Amino acid sequence: MKVPYNWLKDYVKIELSPEELAERLTMAGLEVGAVNVFAPLGEKFIVGRIEARRKHPNASNLQLVNVDLGTEYLEVVCGAKNIKEGDMVPVALPGAVLPGGAVIQPTEIRGISSPGMLCSSGELGLEIAEEKAGIMLLDLQCSPGEKLINILPFNEPVLDVDLTPNRGDCLGMLGIAREVAALTGNKVLLPPDAVKEGGEEIEKLAGVEITAPDLCSRYTARIMEGITIKPSPLKMQFRLLAVGIRSISNLVDVTNYIMWETGFPMHAFDYDKLAGGRIIVRRAKQGEELVTLDGIKRILDPEILVIADSREPVGLAGVMGGEYTEITAKTNRLFLEAASFNPVNIRLTARKMNLPSEASQRYEKGVDPEGAVFAQNRAVRLMQETAGGEILSGIIDKYPRPLRKRKITLRKSKIREVLGYSLPEERITDILTGLSLVVNRDRKGKKANISKSSPRSPGEVLFQVEVPSFRSDLIQDVDLIEELARIYGYDKIPVTLPVGVLTSGRPSQAQRTIAKIKDTLVSCGLQEVITFSFINPKIFDLLQLPAEDMRRDAVKLQNPLTEDQAILRTTLIPGMLQILQYNFNRQTQNQFVFEVGKIFFPPWENDKLPVEKKVVSLMMSGKKPLSDWQNSPSPINFYDIKGIVETLLQSLGIQETRWQEAGLPLLHPAQGGKLFLKGKEAGFAGSLHPSLREKLDIKQEVFLAELLVEPLMEASSLTPSFRSLPRFPAVFRDAAFIVSRKVKADDLLETIKAHGGKLLEDVTLFDVYKGKQVPEDCLSLAFALTFRHGNKTLTDEEIDPVMEEMAEALQKRFNAILRKT
Amino acid sequence: MQEKVREKIEELQLQFQQEINGALDLEAVEKLRIRFLGKKGEVTALMRGMSQFSAEERPLFGKLLNEFKSSAEQILENRKKELKEKDASLRWEKERLDITLPGRPFPLGRKHPLTIISEEIEEIFSCMGFQIAEGPEVETDYYNFEALNIPKEHPARDMQDSFYINPEVLLRTHTSPMQVRTMEVMAPQLPVRIICPGKVYRRDDDVTHSPMFHQVEGLVVDKGISLADLKGILLLFTREMFGKGRELRFRPSFFPFTEPSAEVDISCIICGGSGCRTCGDTGWLEILGSGMVHPRVLEVSGYNPEEVTGYAFGIGIERIAMLKYGIDDIRLFYQNDLRMLQQY
Repeated sequence: MKVPYNWLKDYVKIELSPEELAERLTMAGLEVGAVNVFAPLGEKFIVGRIEARRKHPNASNLQLVNVDLGTEYLEVVCGAKNIKEGDMVPVALPGAVLPGGAVIQPTEIRGISSPGMLCSSGELGLEIAEEKAGIMLLDLQCSPGEKLINILPFNEPVLDVDLTPNRGDCLGMLGIAREVAALTGNKVLLPPDAVKEGGEEIEKLAGVEITAPDLCSRYTARIMEGITIKPSPLKMQFRLLAVGIRSISNLVDVTNYIMWETGFPMHAFDYDKLAGGRIIVRRAKQGEELVTLDGIKRILDPEILVIADSREPVGLAGVMGGEYTEITAKTNRLFLEAASFNPVNIRLTARKMNLPSEASQRYEKGVDPEGAVFAQNRAVRLMQETAGGEILSGIIDKYPRPLRKRKITLRKSKIREVLGYSLPEERITDILTGLSLVVNRDRKGKKANISKSSPRSPGEVLFQVEVPSFRSDLIQDVDLIEELARIYGYDKIPVTLPVGVLTSGRPSQAQRTIAKIKDTLVSCGLQEVITFSFINPKIFDLLQLPAEDMRRDAVKLQNPLTEDQAILRTTLIPGMLQILQYNFNRQTQNQFVFEVGKIFFPPWENDKLPVEKKVVSLMMSGKKPLSDWQNSPSPINFYDIKGIVETLLQSLGIQETRWQEAGLPLLHPAQGGKLFLKGKEAGFAGSLHPSLREKLDIKQEVFLAELLVEPLMEASSLTPSFRSLPRFPAVFRDAAFIVSRKVKADDLLETIKAHGGKLLEDVTLFDVYKGKQVPEDCLSLAFALTFRHGNKTLTDEEIDPVMEEMAEALQKRFNAILRKT
Repeated sequence: MQEKVREKIEELQLQFQQEINGALDLEAVEKLRIRFLGKKGEVTALMRGMSQFSAEERPLFGKLLNEFKSSAEQILENRKKELKEKDASLRWEKERLDITLPGRPFPLGRKHPLTIISEEIEEIFSCMGFQIAEGPEVETDYYNFEALNIPKEHPARDMQDSFYINPEVLLRTHTSPMQVRTMEVMAPQLPVRIICPGKVYRRDDDVTHSPMFHQVEGLVVDKGISLADLKGILLLFTREMFGKGRELRFRPSFFPFTEPSAEVDISCIICGGSGCRTCGDTGWLEILGSGMVHPRVLEVSGYNPEEVTGYAFGIGIERIAMLKYGIDDIRLFYQNDLRMLQQY
């Protein structure tokens, strides 16, 4: 809401500067975003009266104009055609700076010197109606030599108030004035609304019927006849321009002016175009049509409330009028509407028609039906001033559901309960009265109408508060308490430190697990990233997911911002690949990243909400170590990412893990597999499929892993139990076996563990060899075994048979040959 | 006869002197020691040959020989020490490292700046006894709007343009639904004291708006909770988060689910309140929205608003991160440019 400072002064006395006022309003909840100066202009523009004109001797399209400046005469060169002797016009003197930045200087035009310039409104930085072609004509009382800035509201400070949606009442200057009055203690000055009626009874010319009283709570109308359509006076045009409304004609301008003044939207019809002189406020019929003021044909339906004449719709109620019935230069009789419509319905219509207007914006926030008659009277009074004509006797007023005054009971002690401080009773009354509320104090409280649930101690002071119709946002006691705090000052709220029963704020096990996951991965050198939860549905084809892959079954957004954010992710991999490409294109070759976030799947049968699961994803590509002059970096491989996953599992205390080779669609067919924890699938790791890499134009290998957090959580134990330290020395043995390349290391390990029995404390694989020493299709796998007995020192005689048996078993099962050392 | 004795010793001395000058390493010195002073050395040999001297000559001979012995021992010791020092310094020179060469790099990952800020906020509040609650990112219209006093077609819905899944289900536009979800579970127990960090979504995309962003919701419900308590807790939070000298400013505002409502500003963390570019010369920075839980919200969640009161607040994590790190484009958080992320 734009609030011109000097215009506001019409309605309330203000001793504060615009900046001070802005600060006060902001601190009272009407946030002033900025104070801008409308139509900035300097002092060197003065009023001149055209005295005489003659032809320019050297140019047929120019004339020499003699202007009276009060103290002197000036002859200037001018090209405009719209001036005549006696006209009052703006004159820019040498040194004047035009809003565009140009400085006026005496110049010679076609051989004649011009010591100044007559100005058009455009040159003064204004968009005044019907003045585009020529010099601005000053239609107001003024005399030659007066400074322009003294006779018209140039340099007007305009407060830009960012209203919260509950304060629809402040979408009018009077609403703001009421706030100022409450803050300063000054009175609101209502503008005059006395009307001089004449001529016929309005009822003889027109009738109004409301067939949808649920959507229109009040409809009022007045009619004027014999009006003259012309531009509005400059002062009104200035005021409208200052708030961003283009001037159209005197009548339309008044409806806008009154809307800005009172917050009450109005609409003017050409009475003679209303069929039957009747207005019916009704729901539109299915398929009915209306061409609105903007020239667009609208197809209507019964959800939409229309203003119709006896034949057809003539306006979208509260949103926009119809083209056929609009005010034109020929209009002689005017039908003026001031009505109150259902906010929700107007909002729906405005959205459906994509027509947010100043009017609909106000109706959406609720227009006070009690304000209709005042708005009517103000409007016709102003119209008569600028357009002449006669105001017909009487006013049509259909008010099927009159507003009932709201009454709120406020306990004095409640104020303290909510704000933490109390106010003197007089102050409470003063503040509420200052906001135009009617307050009755009730100390005995016998007749107090308070709800049963409201506990009340004897002697409690109660305030019975009657809320004016324009404050529909004040509904219950806490609303009044906010008003008190707002006006009294939020800065006066004291600061108290929290008291009460102690509660534990320790993060839950699940939250600590997530923290641990992040901490571990960060310690492993991975960078955390956060990507959007929505992805491009086309990504599944790129990832080569088969049709039956459950990740394709994604939750769709009804109204995504763009197609590439149209579904909720079912895997974090798309985000990872995006990061990969983005950073690769910025010369970052080494990328070790992870993300912890949610994936989404369609809801279970009867559930409303999608299934949300937390996952952790890893992506690694590049070389390691990063830059070490002692070791030359070598490319990351599968075992790097697997190692980090294993470290993660270890840090979570997860012991039972199993990897299974699996051809996963987005992974290299031979370099990827699934992870099982306690027999439950928990995720995958592997190398990005080479063909995918090619499609993404990534020249280096990329490794990915994605783990579900839930199975990690289930398998984890964050508090391990203590195992006593060994008292006897261990015996270490190394053994290398030659096996076919098809044999899996995990299988060998399992057999070794099975045959190592209780004595085998630990076994690790420490070398994999392929080369001259072993047959071509074979590998040598070397294991380091640790044997230990709990109660004695082991001897070779005890270990040798175990080793032999183990070798035998491996030979039998895997055809493994023990390498002689 | 005495001359003969002296001659013999002098000869020995001369010989030793010559040899010691030629001993250039420890090994040679040791050889020399063995040759002169060893069990089978020159001195022993001379001792054995003492019989050739007369009884009168013997004491003198013995005395001179002992003098030689101890002076030779001293010389050998000095020589050894000298050589050892020389040796060591040679060795140190050989083993000298350029300690200005870089150490072996150990890869260091970092958390996302939003995680860092979020964890900081969580830590501050959990130390004050706030439990951390989590909720669904896809919400029902009921929890996201209706229960929070924002009925269908309420103009307040314009403040939060939403992504819908269907007319009844949407991506949550704030973390406030967790107020109702938490209270429903807790009622009628007191106190309720939670924060809820998480992702939220709105249909906006520009320098200051991202379609996905993060909030932390705070909620306290108990007997006798007032706006003054809210001011207290937020002041504690602010000073932990931004430093001891910070001041708070409460401004009236409007949220459908709180009444009274307040926007909270902190004294500018850049200029301290004197006015600068970051705070637009006002000295204040808006950091969060808050208020007293609306009676209707308490009621639908199972609490009697005449018996208990509560406050709630919502902090934008991006906003805090942008202020703290001096970032001016919210989209940087989601571009995931590693060169940016690795600065934190």
